[in-house]
Amino acid sequence: MRTGRFTIARVMKYIVLLLTIAFVAALMMYTSGSSRPFEEVEKAVSSSLDKSNLTLQDGSAFKREFGLSEADYAGVMYYASEFNISAEEVLVVLVKDESQIQEVTEAIEKQAEARKNDFDGYAPEEVKLLEDAKQSVRGRYIFFAAAPKAEEYLEAFSNSL
Amino acid sequence: MLFSSITFLFLFLPVVMAVYYMVPGRAKNIVLLIASLFFYAWGEPVYVVLMILSILFNYFCGRDIQENAEDSRKAKLSLVFAVTVNVLILGFFKYYGFILDTVNSILPTDIPYRELPLPVGISFYTFQAISYLVDIYRKKAQPQKNILYFALYISMFPQLIAGPIVRYEDIEAQLKNRKISIRRLGQGAVFFIIGLAKKVIIANTAGSVFDQIAGVPASSLSMLTAWLGAFSYAFQIYFDFSGYSDMALGLGKMFGFEFKKNFDYPYISESITEFWRRWHISLSTWFREYVYIPLGGNRCSVSRNIFNLMVVWTLTGMWHGAAWNFIAWGVYYGVILVMEKYMWGASLDRLPGAVRHIYTIILVLIGWVFFFSPSLGYALRYLVSMVGGGAGIIDSKGTFLLFTHWLLYLLAVLGSSALGLRLVNAVPRMIRNEKAKAAAAVIIYMGIFVISVAFLVTDTFNPFLYFRF
Repeated sequence: MRTGRFTIARVMKYIVLLLTIAFVAALMMYTSGSSRPFEEVEKAVSSSLDKSNLTLQDGSAFKREFGLSEADYAGVMYYASEFNISAEEVLVVLVKDESQIQEVTEAIEKQAEARKNDFDGYAPEEVKLLEDAKQSVRGRYIFFAAAPKAEEYLEAFSNSL
Repeated sequence: MLFSSITFLFLFLPVVMAVYYMVPGRAKNIVLLIASLFFYAWGEPVYVVLMILSILFNYFCGRDIQENAEDSRKAKLSLVFAVTVNVLILGFFKYYGFILDTVNSILPTDIPYRELPLPVGISFYTFQAISYLVDIYRKKAQPQKNILYFALYISMFPQLIAGPIVRYEDIEAQLKNRKISIRRLGQGAVFFIIGLAKKVIIANTAGSVFDQIAGVPASSLSMLTAWLGAFSYAFQIYFDFSGYSDMALGLGKMFGFEFKKNFDYPYISESITEFWRRWHISLSTWFREYVYIPLGGNRCSVSRNIFNLMVVWTLTGMWHGAAWNFIAWGVYYGVILVMEKYMWGASLDRLPGAVRHIYTIILVLIGWVFFFSPSLGYALRYLVSMVGGGAGIIDSKGTFLLFTHWLLYLLAVLGSSALGLRLVNAVPRMIRNEKAKAAAAVIIYMGIFVISVAFLVTDTFNPFLYFRF
């Protein structure tokens, strides 16, 4: 198995090490969370939003829509349309610890499903918005957007971390 | 996926067992490997890639060390490289956030960083990989030629996420040949059920009591409540971790493997030295074999020995987590062990057993305060409350918790010694007829299993403490 000074094992260990470094770098770029304060992320995402159909909501709206209490989390930013006939909304949550991630993502999925059922049959474009909604979990940050510019908002969120 | 989850108990395990017992000998390792990767990917779909890369890296490093065996300098360089990479990967995931947080708190900087969750089990499987590499270097083991067998050693699901840390030389032969029998399957099931009961009946209940106490500011605790909190945490962590280890040992037996025991009734110890011979044995053994002895162990001067002990115990603290309280906890034990060895160990031996036991329990409880505290300041405030400097001696919360959970504490005390298991097995032992004895044992253990499942179904509180390590 030896080929001069370089054996297959030696070459392979360096190759695997390089792959590991590349993998960790990819994790950092695409899945990592951030230690940035919530206010900074909130500001960056908020400034990217088209607010013609989005209004900042308070804790009671967050509770009403998702069944979650704002006080349980390190930060909540919730924008939604003032009009009941619009499904447009953007949510950013910073959980206090990772064990809260599942309850938030489940609440988001449940709310999106319920709204899809509400709009089904009379507002197909709103159902489409919800079907094409963007969701991302990055560390302790959770992002959700159902909006025509959801892709842009997601990018703003990712860049803010 | 947790062992103490309905999905594992009634779906994953029965399916894997059925397939494992149906396939012929050589295919069993492949079945177990696929099951292990699936088990890991269930909760960590991204990090399974990291584990596979770690398997490949250590497999090739092991072969490289062997290929350089004739040239000791090259073999050593190869080992140092491999161990360094393993430690760097572990250190990166575990400590880089902690290091940056520390820098930000000391210096007038605010360096933001990307947070990555800690891959579950990385501390355990990295230590196993290092044991493999060092055992090859020391010529205690041969490098595994079959990469699937090596992958199974690193990823085997019974001990993947919370140990015990299985040293390669202990399992090398079993990867090739192991006995599978109905008798061993039954023994494994008994171990598993005992572990499950320890986890879901005692640890989870103790944990819910501890959480109620931990929710109160440390300086507002009465002395009684503070001690109850410390005892509750001590029981939670012991029954949680030793329960998980029992389940791992039981699962190992069911698949034909023999893992060494990880706990040996640590709370009956009469010194801290003895406590650490009985608590998380696989970790202590690992540090002794791969850190303490290479540093010189005790075959050196007193000052060097003290240095070696402090290094090992600081590292033990760090292994448990990236926080100052874990480091303080490790240093705390290092200091006590040094003291027992060089200062008061001989005097301690002359004291009555009961006094030695009380001494050990008090020191262990103080240790747990450092361990569970979110900060050193909290730990100190909690300790002040334990000596009556908080909200007085007794309060209504403490008495309420004591009177509503006395049965839990009784069960926990019994279960912390061999007496608990003797009581469980008392009825079968009294029966002389072998068939009736076996039937009684089956009824008792099935009963314990059903009660455990009932706890699982009705109780939403099912954390697992050693996941985060």
